[in-house]
Amino acid sequence: MTGPDEPEDVPALGPDGLPEAADRRLASGSFSSGLSVPDFAACLDMGMVPVGLVQGFCVMKWTSYGAGSPYMRGMSPYVAPSSQAGAYAETYQCPHGFVSAEHRMWGQNYEQPWVETAWGQGFGSAYQRLVDEAKAVGAHGVIGVTDSTRHLADLNVTEFHIMGTAVVVDGGQPPPRGEPWTTYLAGQRLGKLIEAGLMPVSVVATLASVRVWAYCMTDYLMEGRNFTWGGSGAQEVEQVVRAHMAVRQLARERLRHQLGHDSLHGARMTVHQRELGEGDEVIECTLSGTGVRRFKDFDPVPAARPTVRLA
Amino acid sequence: MTAAADGRDERDGAGGPASVGDRRDEVRRAVSVLGRAEDRSGTRGATSDLSIDEALLLHSIGWEPVDLVCGVSVTSVPGGVWNWGQGEIAVASSAHELAFRGAATRIANECGRAGGHGVVGVHVDVEVHSHHINVDLVGTAVRPVGAETHPGAAPGAGSFVSDLSARDFTLLHQAGWTPLGLSFGASFVYAPRRSAGTALKQKGQNVELTNFTEAMYSAREAAMERMQATAIAMGGQGVVEVKVTEGPMSFAHHAIGFTAWGTTVRLETGAHRYLTPQVVLALDDATVEFAATSLRG
Repeated sequence: MTGPDEPEDVPALGPDGLPEAADRRLASGSFSSGLSVPDFAACLDMGMVPVGLVQGFCVMKWTSYGAGSPYMRGMSPYVAPSSQAGAYAETYQCPHGFVSAEHRMWGQNYEQPWVETAWGQGFGSAYQRLVDEAKAVGAHGVIGVTDSTRHLADLNVTEFHIMGTAVVVDGGQPPPRGEPWTTYLAGQRLGKLIEAGLMPVSVVATLASVRVWAYCMTDYLMEGRNFTWGGSGAQEVEQVVRAHMAVRQLARERLRHQLGHDSLHGARMTVHQRELGEGDEVIECTLSGTGVRRFKDFDPVPAARPTVRLA
Repeated sequence: MTAAADGRDERDGAGGPASVGDRRDEVRRAVSVLGRAEDRSGTRGATSDLSIDEALLLHSIGWEPVDLVCGVSVTSVPGGVWNWGQGEIAVASSAHELAFRGAATRIANECGRAGGHGVVGVHVDVEVHSHHINVDLVGTAVRPVGAETHPGAAPGAGSFVSDLSARDFTLLHQAGWTPLGLSFGASFVYAPRRSAGTALKQKGQNVELTNFTEAMYSAREAAMERMQATAIAMGGQGVVEVKVTEGPMSFAHHAIGFTAWGTTVRLETGAHRYLTPQVVLALDDATVEFAATSLRG
């Protein structure tokens, strides 16, 4: 299994790639932890000793006019919508014939690899910086990972922030190649995962982006003008539906690629859509979770017994 | 629900982790798996949005998560239908039905293709816009542990779709019930204008606006009837965890909308099995769970 999309270039700031001040703080001798007290206690109970609250940041800017976008290929339905082989694209042709110069004679759904790559680079850089900090304190793993993204200043400027608590497993093997394992879980939930026979491997995350370039029928249907062409009832908007299903499918396929043969636990899928008018829209799907690997045979807990709690 | 104390004791006695030392050995054993070459001989791993508690509960009744599955539908609402009128806005109601049915069919098909027997924990997101209605469903396909995919079976055939959590699914299962699918109904109704005379008479008075009250009742009855009709069509005996939304549309305040959905259930065993919950008195303080947001103040 691989972690989140690998960054192309992580700036080296110190001897071990960390800012100098971070190096000094991490070497100070006291530990920090983002765990709640119950989670802290549960982790100590499992032999996981917190060694530091580690974080990674990255601020990314990207443009809507990347390589492969319609703006860069002459706006033609006959040119491949993406320079990246295998990217999702579908073309829709007007059923009406020539109507006017303004009539939308064709439309396309197309994946936006330049947006996905930029997102992957931002998340991947922040993640790698978190891992670098964890390695600097000799951690075996990072638990209780949280991630957030927010827009800064401009629509296409995004801050990625990932943090978690680095831990050492008392008497445990160091991670292979020195790369700490990571998980969104902590405390008793992490304990239950391990007791169920699953070991967290890595936080995984991805984004898929699809642009809907509406053709005439999608424009009419999304703007309530379908009666113009004889339609008066409700009907599905095929182009938009296919774009929605495609963006979710792309995100899941990409995450599966990161997972390899491991499983995904605690998936979080978030879909944002930005309507641009006249049926055009951008749909983005982020999917994240913890990749887990089975280390012992399936061993179900006993059937649960319902209880009524007296408070 | 809690794990049965007697069952847990038996399991611990059979070699499960019981003491701190055992737990630490278990963690060391888990960590060591990362150093071994990844097993590439098996099939692809499962994906799920269930919590660890939900996954364990599913396992306890012999079910397992298979895949994260989705279903989406967007249907158009022709322009002008929200203008003043009388009675039901039939085209908006049918657009809602079409969207819900389309999304439910797609998620059931994805479940069938993934080898699932049903989808639990479905998050239902319905957005009603002036010109289109969006329905977005996402959940985890599940099946009995080790169950085979039926070769040649039509996609989605026999797969249930339920917005019940895995915990609720487990409870239903223990009580002898099975989910059959999502039932839904919606109705959008005009609140008719008051006559000029009525408006004048009501001016400056505290009175009920019966045109709105009646529109709400009308929308409610139609929507609930449709939801129950879809449940009967599935062969269900009832609908549980019904959610409703009601009120004037944000973009047309004179139009009242009422939507309802829930999970259709049927008794699989001869009779309902009473669970007789055990009464417990917790002696510990309220547990503070790990909350990611607490790190940010």
